Amino acid sequence: MKRTIRWMGAFAVFCWVSLFLLPAAMAVNAKYDFDHFPDMSDYDPNNIVKPEGDTIKIAIIAAFSGPAAAVGQSYLLPVGWVAHDINKRGGIMVDGKKKKIEIIIADNQNKPDVTLKVTERMILQEKVDILWGTSGSHLQKVINQLADKHKKISVNAISLSDELMDKDNFTKYAFMTCFSTEQIGRAFAYFYGQIRKKETKFYILNQDYLFGHSLAEGFKVGLKEYFPTAQIVGEDYHKLFLTDFAPYLTKIKTSGAEVIFTGDWIPDAANLLKQSRQMGVMLPFANIFLSDPTTLTEVGIEGTTGLMAISQSGTGNPVFKNEGIIKYFKVWDNLWKNKWAKPYNSLSYKYPMGALGTYMTSVYWLASVLERAGSTDPEKVIKVWEGDSYQTLGGKVMTMRACDHKMVTDLHIYEFVPPAQQKQCFNIEPYYWFEKCAGAGPVYEIPSDKAIPKADPELCKKN
Amino acid sequence: MEAYIAQGMHGLAYGMVLFLVASGLTLVLGMMGVLNMAHVNFFMLSAYLGYQVVAWTGSFWLALLIAPLLTAGAGILMERFLLKKVHAFGPMAELILTMGVAFIISDGVKAVWGTQNLPLSPPGSLSVLVNIAGVQYPAYRLFLIGLAVAILLLMALVLYKTRLGMIVRAAVADAGMVDALGINVPLVFMTVFGAGTWMAGVAGVAIAPILTVSPGLAAQMGMDAFIVIIVGGFGSLGGAFLVAILCGLLSAFGVQFLPQYASVLLFVFMAVVLAIKPEGLFGEKES
Repeated sequence: MKRTIRWMGAFAVFCWVSLFLLPAAMAVNAKYDFDHFPDMSDYDPNNIVKPEGDTIKIAIIAAFSGPAAAVGQSYLLPVGWVAHDINKRGGIMVDGKKKKIEIIIADNQNKPDVTLKVTERMILQEKVDILWGTSGSHLQKVINQLADKHKKISVNAISLSDELMDKDNFTKYAFMTCFSTEQIGRAFAYFYGQIRKKETKFYILNQDYLFGHSLAEGFKVGLKEYFPTAQIVGEDYHKLFLTDFAPYLTKIKTSGAEVIFTGDWIPDAANLLKQSRQMGVMLPFANIFLSDPTTLTEVGIEGTTGLMAISQSGTGNPVFKNEGIIKYFKVWDNLWKNKWAKPYNSLSYKYPMGALGTYMTSVYWLASVLERAGSTDPEKVIKVWEGDSYQTLGGKVMTMRACDHKMVTDLHIYEFVPPAQQKQCFNIEPYYWFEKCAGAGPVYEIPSDKAIPKADPELCKKN
Repeated sequence: MEAYIAQGMHGLAYGMVLFLVASGLTLVLGMMGVLNMAHVNFFMLSAYLGYQVVAWTGSFWLALLIAPLLTAGAGILMERFLLKKVHAFGPMAELILTMGVAFIISDGVKAVWGTQNLPLSPPGSLSVLVNIAGVQYPAYRLFLIGLAVAILLLMALVLYKTRLGMIVRAAVADAGMVDALGINVPLVFMTVFGAGTWMAGVAGVAIAPILTVSPGLAAQMGMDAFIVIIVGGFGSLGGAFLVAILCGLLSAFGVQFLPQYASVLLFVFMAVVLAIKPEGLFGEKES
């Protein structure tokens, strides 16, 4: 009897462990095909070619005008690149014929009411197949609601709030291809508590809206789990587009913090870093979006050394693991240097990695799912994408959790070091990312089971 | 204690920057009755021009001299060729026109400089920390405080101690009478408008080393600047100065003591003042 109980216990443990390890261990269903990488020399993000005939229409819903116009531009280049790559291969076989991808710009001006109008226009007038967006969880929520109403596939590649996929907001038509707030917070907590084991005092400074609070909660949950002796010595939330960070930096200075944990995005992230260094606050930032090379270069090597950046698309060192990826990068680099005009010839677009890599992966994955579904019919797409595993061009495996359509993957945290120490990461000439600022050097892997995306128990139980 | 001293200085520095932006706005509103919605866009334009001058010459000081003058030139052209023509159609026409100019400037800077953040660093001599009462404080922020005080004194001197200032004040009170005395009133107004945009220009270049130069710059400062002129009273330079300082201090100490309410404190302050004194602290009641 005792033996039976022991075996049953062992079996239960096995099942429990499998449940958590399942996404990471799942077989890869598809991966990026380097062998057929086409001639991309005619790709120009400022003049994206509209394919002829019957197409698969993808609407990029983002701000293309107003103060946040740079956001939309930063999506257009990578999404257009992937579309061009696929179109040069002949397109995707769906519904019995090869169709090319057509990109349609949907300018939401970063406003909820405009997002509603422009998304409806994309669905009803432009008859798009896919809604792809967007920066701002409140805006993504609007898109997902419309996707649900009109039964369209919505791909969220950018907005990170867990709440977008909880039981109240989940729709089977929406897929989150980016990481999410609790996942990020817990990954950082795991890194500081279980890997780095150095700093113990943290100050949370985030933007005062859903994302900032959600991220902070994730970090605190993670600290409880992985680093219970750590201290949160301060916690503040500032308004978006803040002008003066000095009052917050003074509080941070007097708090005794050893690390500033922030999810701020540009321009707040840039102004926070710049002003902190001007005020002599040289603490490291555990961050997501402090990667704008223009700002990093302005702050310089000393001010950017020690930054800790988390990445969902990055992999372990080195970055250039095979000939395929080196060729891919060199084609991009050549176009960046010699062909692309403003704004795409700026430092922000120098590498098809980081945020750009994340957006590209999202579209490559989507295209692969469409091809395997053999259709743009949302129901068929959902069937293929749920539980699907895809290997990115960097070699990373991403899995779409079936119960709530959140992406599960290993995460990586990059430590910023001076250019001379970056060869371990940037393993081809010139062996550094940027000459005048620190960049990724040592990289630390956070296994996916240590930072599983938050799952709404009701939602995941139901499925 | 050091933290409180530091917060006081942050408040003062931010208040001074706010004053630099708001002073030109209140000057034009008070003297000409024009609510220039493009004012903060001129502020942004100057930051971009400053960036360009630094990119060409490497000199921040040259940028601080040239960019505001170019901005003032743009303001003068706007007044001479656009604003003057719609003046007869009343304040609504002027408001719509200035909003149109705001959009043109906004899209213009994006067309010329793109949408990326552009870097502009403080000059090397001011990129240091100085010790004030035990607080290590950035020299550049001290420079900002000094610059704003100097401009306040200059404007007060011109307005209240010179013949030009006397004419301006007289033209504001009774333009017809001043015109009858043989003084070119349109020229006076053009000068006032130019001075207003020059002050926005100075603020634009001065704040750029603290922030990044981006198309969002106007929106970032616009709301706070409008709060300052509303609470200070339309047209009151002294009011703008005092309220800008109060707003700066409220922001800094708000973060220190009431961080969860810091972002709404300025609005509460505005609401309280307007409830008690609808014309603003130093504004004049309409007769």
